[in-house]
Amino acid sequence: MSGLDWLILGGTLLFIVGFGTWRTRRAGDSLDGYLLGGRQASWWAVGLSIMATQASAITFLSTPGQAYDDGMRFIQFYLGLPVAMVLIAVFAVPIYHRLQVFTAYEYLEGRFDRRTRTFAALLFLVQRGLSNGLSLYAPALVLSAILGWDIQLTVWLIGGLMIAYTVSGGTRAVAVTQQGQVAVIFTGMVVAGYLLVHYLPAEVGFTDAMRVAGHEGKLNLIDFHFDPSDRYNFWSGLTGGLFLALSYFGTDQSQVQRYLAGRDITESRLGLLMNGLLKIPMQFGILLLGVLLFVFYQFNPAPLTFNRPVYMQVAHSEQYGPQLRALERTHATLFKARARATGELVAALKTDDEQAIATAKTHLQATQAANLGLRQQAQTLLKQAVPAAEAKDTDYIFLTFVLHYLPHGLVGLLIAVVLSAAMGSAAAGLNALSSTTVVDLYKPRRPGRSETHYVAASRWAAVGWGVLGIGFATFAARLENLIQAVNILGSLFYGTILGIFVVAFFLKSVGGRTVFWAAVAAQIVVLTLFFATDIGYLWFNIIGCAVVVAGSVSEKAVRS
Amino acid sequence: MLPDNLIPETDKPPLLPSWRAWYWLVLGALGAEIGLFVYLTRLFA
Repeated sequence: MSGLDWLILGGTLLFIVGFGTWRTRRAGDSLDGYLLGGRQASWWAVGLSIMATQASAITFLSTPGQAYDDGMRFIQFYLGLPVAMVLIAVFAVPIYHRLQVFTAYEYLEGRFDRRTRTFAALLFLVQRGLSNGLSLYAPALVLSAILGWDIQLTVWLIGGLMIAYTVSGGTRAVAVTQQGQVAVIFTGMVVAGYLLVHYLPAEVGFTDAMRVAGHEGKLNLIDFHFDPSDRYNFWSGLTGGLFLALSYFGTDQSQVQRYLAGRDITESRLGLLMNGLLKIPMQFGILLLGVLLFVFYQFNPAPLTFNRPVYMQVAHSEQYGPQLRALERTHATLFKARARATGELVAALKTDDEQAIATAKTHLQATQAANLGLRQQAQTLLKQAVPAAEAKDTDYIFLTFVLHYLPHGLVGLLIAVVLSAAMGSAAAGLNALSSTTVVDLYKPRRPGRSETHYVAASRWAAVGWGVLGIGFATFAARLENLIQAVNILGSLFYGTILGIFVVAFFLKSVGGRTVFWAAVAAQIVVLTLFFATDIGYLWFNIIGCAVVVAGSVSEKAVRS
Repeated sequence: MLPDNLIPETDKPPLLPSWRAWYWLVLGALGAEIGLFVYLTRLFA
């Protein structure tokens, strides 16, 4: 990174955080002011905050790499989201607003009992506490690998900045900083997309790039084939994705707190609907970046593996080095053949000559298969040489491109995108963790204290969860790829929490004792299935919810 | 169909005549996106 990159990176982050802290320096001594920003947010502020909370650094590191490797089928994961936004706007928002609750779980005590409220709050705290740590760990890991930054120092720097403004200004500081962060994120992504197209060879336009990607199976946006073990298809996206989104946006305090801060029902609803309208196009854009990266690397040499630190470590070893270097030489030769074959396909596509297209496609597919085989051989070798290392390199693809091909200044901007997303998302999580700890666990056991006391307790809870998140991030181990790890973690708990809320909203005759034991049973079932089967994780959201609802209904039926 | 009784009539949304119109806008956009994705998948297959 050049001096200009450092200037832009540091300036952008400090300006966003400084401005957010300054704007919200009078967070107020009331819980309402500190935890919900005085319930004054307009719809666009609610909408931006919801989007920034969901889009973590992992979104920008993993998603383009996932499209590069697996095509755009991950988009199906989001198909249930707009439906969930509508259902939450219709059913949940009026209830939360009418009851003037601080947290989603507060509602459960009035509806059931304190035990059920505490159980749901604890499930949330466990999964959000862990995934918040992962949100900090993910960018630190990739940045340390690619830029050589110290991983612990990076985690502490991002985490420290985030804790400072979240503790100081509460929910309003989180929302105001998220507005700046979203602006940086969108600018960075648009610039990266434009440059990717610009860097393609002169004779290859955007449509040509799409056609090449399509012939390589990267534009696999919709797959109607039903397979329960397949993570991303139309059916799992629409149903499992719907349940995951209902649970995440309807019952996860990190999101509920965003729209509880809305001025009234109208502002909260419109914020949610704004997310329902924009989320899929935004994810489409990020996945498209990955596909464009794939096409870009058909014409430009890609490394044998994008995880360079592990590569360098193995390349210098006496035992595995010669083998790896031999693979690298074959890879370099193969790249020339692949670039030539891609050029032939582009030329054939322009002539619309079916025979020429078929020949070029066969030629290209042969070189792709050889390339894939080489990459797999390299990954096996790396895993053999460094068993603890991450073999998959998809999380490193986007930043590798940024560092090697973007001009000075833009590198700093794109790294600011990653760090902004990390802080925006984790700060909202931290804010929700402290709210739930104080409102659902501390306040019911220490009632009658002053508002100032509870605000101070919230600040200390934010510091505690922040430090715990940093601690977890420092010691976290890699799980497949990062975005999937976070979604898997959420899916293990979300189904049960959603089930409790579904019973609360729609089965008015079911009481606290019944739903509590049904929820405990559901959590055991989900965890057992997770460890004992290979069911795609999106289905756990449905299973957990279904067991709570079915358990509640059947227990009720047996009793009556 | 979206239930009428859960949409408070006193709380009128901006820009569109009713909340129901807003909900159908979001669901309609989803339908259009799915249609576009199916089209793109087939076009570039």
